[in-house]
Amino acid sequence: MKSISGKTAIVGIGEVPTGHFPDRSFIKAAVDVCEMAITDAGIPKQDIDTVIPIGVVSNPLDNTNVICSWLVEELGLGKTAKSNFQVMSGGSSSANSLKVASALVAAGLSKAVLVVHCDRMGTGLDLSAAISMFSKASINQEYEMPYGFSQLALAGFLQQRYMYETGTTERQIASVVESLRKWAALNPNAMLRKPKTADEILQSKMISSPVRKKMMNILADGAAAFIVTSSEYARDLTDTPAYVLGIGSRCTSFTVTAQPHFDCWQPAVDGAYHMAGIGPGDIDVAEIYDAFPTFILISMELLGLCEKGKAGKFVEDGNTSPGGRLPVSTNGAMMAQGHTGAGGGMAILVEAARQIMGKAGERQVQNANIAIETASGGIGMDFHVGVLGKEGQ
Amino acid sequence: MSEYNKPLPLVTELSKHFYDGCKQGELLYQKCDDCGQIVFYPKELCPACMGRRLSWRKSNGKGKIYTFTVTYDAAPPEFATDVPYALALIDVDEGFRMMSNIVECDFDKLRCEMPVEVVFDQITPDIALPKFRPSEPDEQ
Ligand SMILES: [Zn+2]
Repeated sequence: MKSISGKTAIVGIGEVPTGHFPDRSFIKAAVDVCEMAITDAGIPKQDIDTVIPIGVVSNPLDNTNVICSWLVEELGLGKTAKSNFQVMSGGSSSANSLKVASALVAAGLSKAVLVVHCDRMGTGLDLSAAISMFSKASINQEYEMPYGFSQLALAGFLQQRYMYETGTTERQIASVVESLRKWAALNPNAMLRKPKTADEILQSKMISSPVRKKMMNILADGAAAFIVTSSEYARDLTDTPAYVLGIGSRCTSFTVTAQPHFDCWQPAVDGAYHMAGIGPGDIDVAEIYDAFPTFILISMELLGLCEKGKAGKFVEDGNTSPGGRLPVSTNGAMMAQGHTGAGGGMAILVEAARQIMGKAGERQVQNANIAIETASGGIGMDFHVGVLGKEGQ
Repeated sequence: MSEYNKPLPLVTELSKHFYDGCKQGELLYQKCDDCGQIVFYPKELCPACMGRRLSWRKSNGKGKIYTFTVTYDAAPPEFATDVPYALALIDVDEGFRMMSNIVECDFDKLRCEMPVEVVFDQITPDIALPKFRPSEPDEQ
């Protein structure tokens, strides 16, 4: 396969604070992040010829409207835009959008692509409706739903098996959340900025064993955007492009029952490293899609950042926290930044670009030359890995 | 039998065959006549060879817990009054995995790789849900 490694770059990003903002309208947040990304890139807006609005979960009408070019009109792109269409694969929509945007640019079909996500999972949807949705979405109605399965129970399944296979302790798993909270404390856009120790997390109520209340992500309102263009054009626009060096993907199944083992996602990792021409030792910062702490540990091991079964100890020892050897999920990820529906992966991807661009403020990782980011959708239906770097083609 | 208020299985041509089996006390799965692939959940096409000649077989109903969780809170609304309840992925002897509840069991004794066997829970006149219980007496 002909590689697009280094041929495209993220040139601008935008993000508004994640949290509960009942008075912030959908369209205001959406337009704000687009404007920020355009300003950040310094790109003439008429060069943005493609808009990809990621799926909105909390309100089907908002979703229909963004599919029907609402943002093209709001941003005044109506005389220059060629395409407005949706990429939707749940939490992995970010990764799939980066892939589609890069391919369009590399093929010469697009000059610049604006990818935008906005959703109001925190205040646009009442809690019982949200619980009900996550007990039905991507769950098999013929053979699974009758048993009371939910996405929380999935987290219980993963953690139980992972602990059984690796001997990882509950405390080590809680320390993942501790690390994320430390990062969130440095992130003005994060929702849960108060530090929590692993012991405090272990004292929280058991929800779906062995997952406790403070090991769960939290639904929130949020919005983020990024702009992809060619590496050639990127250099004209900015001194700090985040080049797209590698992309790897694997889509396995609808049901968790059909996922053979954690290793089923390994080809996504191998593909991304191969395209980027790098290995785990080259990674300066890892932005890992979470939803639940075990998923971060499993992903770190798949990425080769730790030996199999050793990620929990690595995190417990402080290696992934601010000042640690390998910063992981420096925005606080969904467990501290907040879960915005299909936008969970978007925040992770934007943070990876931010670190490469050197725009991460207090939480900037020194010498962040290469960042890796991951995303997953459904009930672990897929796994995507992206490598961003400071040096392109 | 009191009214059953939880989600019932979506009945399709394939799932009806499966649940008709459950009503007879049989746990059914498919095997591809062309390539021998064990197929579960029931499907139209063999996911290995795309063949359509899938024949139904009867499982011995025994297996092992691959993983499990006990839900104490934030259950789907229809299950809120059932907490705590145990969910598991079970590796059935014939070579397929399925989701179910673990019943007739002390939840504190649940563990991965624990041997279990199927029991059928007649939840409505039409539907018997396959559930599992520990198959070694000292673990019940
Ligand atoms: Zn076959």
